[in-house]
Amino acid sequence: MAAVCSAALAAAAVVLATEPRGTSSPGPAPVPPRAALPDPVAPVFRVRTPRPLDDSIRVYHSAPVLRRVEARTAPEPVAPPVAALEQLTPERTTNIVLAVGRARDARGRLWVRVRLPVLPNGSTGWVPRSALGGYVEVRTRLVVNRARLTATLLRDGRPIFHARVGVGVPASPTPSGDFYVRNKLTNFDNPFYGPVAFGTSGRSPVLTDWPGGGFIGIHGTNHPELLPGRVSHGCIRLRNEDILDLARLMTVGTPVTIV
Amino acid sequence: MTTRRRPTTIGQPAERLVSRRAFLARGARSASVVALGSGVAGALVASGASAPTPAGDVRILNYLLLLEYLQEALYAEAVAAGRLRGELRRYARIAGDHEQQHVRALRDILGSNARAKPQTRFGEAVRREGRFVAAALTLEETAAAAYIGQAANLTRERILAVARIVAVEARHAAWIRDYAGRTPAPSAADAAKSARQVERTLARTGFVGRR
Amino acid sequence: MSGDADPAPRVDDGLTLEELDADGALLEAIDSVYGDSRADLLRKAAFGGAALLGVLARPPDATGAPKKDTAVLKFDLVFEYLQSSFYLGAVRVGTVQRMAPEKARWAHVLGAHELAHVAILRKVLGRDAVKKPFFNFRGVTESESAFTRTAVAMEDLTVAMLAGQAPKFENRALVSAVFSLLTTEARHAAWARRIAGFTPVANAFDEPKTLAEVDRVVRATRFIASRPRTRGRGKPRYSG
Repeated sequence: MAAVCSAALAAAAVVLATEPRGTSSPGPAPVPPRAALPDPVAPVFRVRTPRPLDDSIRVYHSAPVLRRVEARTAPEPVAPPVAALEQLTPERTTNIVLAVGRARDARGRLWVRVRLPVLPNGSTGWVPRSALGGYVEVRTRLVVNRARLTATLLRDGRPIFHARVGVGVPASPTPSGDFYVRNKLTNFDNPFYGPVAFGTSGRSPVLTDWPGGGFIGIHGTNHPELLPGRVSHGCIRLRNEDILDLARLMTVGTPVTIV
Repeated sequence: MTTRRRPTTIGQPAERLVSRRAFLARGARSASVVALGSGVAGALVASGASAPTPAGDVRILNYLLLLEYLQEALYAEAVAAGRLRGELRRYARIAGDHEQQHVRALRDILGSNARAKPQTRFGEAVRREGRFVAAALTLEETAAAAYIGQAANLTRERILAVARIVAVEARHAAWIRDYAGRTPAPSAADAAKSARQVERTLARTGFVGRR
Repeated sequence: MSGDADPAPRVDDGLTLEELDADGALLEAIDSVYGDSRADLLRKAAFGGAALLGVLARPPDATGAPKKDTAVLKFDLVFEYLQSSFYLGAVRVGTVQRMAPEKARWAHVLGAHELAHVAILRKVLGRDAVKKPFFNFRGVTESESAFTRTAVAMEDLTVAMLAGQAPKFENRALVSAVFSLLTTEARHAAWARRIAGFTPVANAFDEPKTLAEVDRVVRATRFIASRPRTRGRGKPRYSG
């Protein structure tokens, strides 16, 4: 067996290194026999086999609104409208929505069910996928507990931030429900809101004539001594150092649940 | 003295890291994988790699031509033997046609320097489906690794020709692997083989030589 | 495994990203590839949407032949971002979970490979690495059939791009490395085709495409998009 193997090896070596033989008339002088082939040029990088993608991570999808569009009660062009979605927010940032479902209509076009920044709070509607831009994947979720006056940020289901908060006075309460962070404002030089202010899709149910729409915000404060407490017009107030921490961890598009 | 740096690798190792002794035994060549850091311009070329020449091209292309001849012959004989069925038969016909074209392309470049066909003996590999699959897999994988190993040693004018060919060899490999129930793309980046390694692999097959 | 079964492959030629239409009529566009509408689709697709070249700070020159290896690697990196985001996006929206197990495994493995390519190119480029663009896959990752066909086209395009670029590197160690990527992407392409029911390899040679051609195709998909601007400096007018 060994003899056969070494014979095979020798045969292969001879064949690999053999001088080329022309099929027609003699051409240029043949390559010297048994000339060695050069070693491979070591590549600039090597890549080891990675683990397959992890699909256990739950992400939420927010998407920008590309054009003014009617959100409808069902994924059909003829379904009644629920509300119009504008391309910009009152703060002149790109309007975004949170995607919570998908379906195809009779013609096979894709529709997306989205959380709407309209009253009544918790409204959803269907828009054509083509009205939305690219998905932004979000792994965080904020839970605000009005009874305990707390805000907890979760990432992949695990708490990574916790703070005591101020919520709305009974006359102008912070509404309960499912919302999302719609934009983030900084450098606005208004100590009432602290250093950073997040806008959500939630609306005050009582401040219906509020300039700017009466959206529920999450922001800092120049009266930290009032926190925790029921003190605001509906917004969720944090101490300034807490809102700065939150701003480092929470991205726009984050779902917000207020209980 | 050659600067040795740890290869730039990414991802989880699929296999155990080699021992230091084995690593050093491979020599300076395999250790000269460079993390380019701040810029590509400062990259190191592997030590021991001399500049490509037309004469070098002839040697390399003839070596690759050998591998194409082997594949061409395997598929032609298997198709002629008529013992493959279904998708495997279709694979042999399609891949065989491709290898014929590869042979022709390399012979066109080599002209009168082209080597002659080797003697081959495939035995049961052209008569039994399981053996055929194993043979095809070995030859396609070996060819791809051989091309990867030598591409950078060719003069620039020849690199495109082999790039157009090796992509198809890799497709063949993926196809036959998928057919055989093996993962078609086992690595995020395929490894090169040296001529020595290819030689050993061919020897183990016993396909080269007189019947 | 073997046997006489050979599921007849669907027609597979001409399945390119160029033929993807805009706005939702994706599947119809692919079907119409085999008719005379190809030229129309190419014309329609010539405008709009950010190009790969636009993502780079200093794009390769107009002939499509970059002067430096770095420029090519940057282009490759953007393309790998596109691929990895495409696969990962399909996983994140749940399309992959709904696939048959073997197909889901294919998508997971390819996505992992492309992510590894992104990581290695970023490492190799160092401070020359470009940032990931923002993508809008416009429903393609949300439809199993559109996703699969687009993956096939994308992998074929990657092979063509790498075949075109491999000979152009000054640094031979890069030629070596890119050949490894070339064969890997070719495996991806063959695997994707077989998954999709197409023949894994149609031609004896994989023809190269220039960077300009690749860029044109990517532009036609309109996958590269502007990032939504959700941060502002205006006065908050929240309810307070």
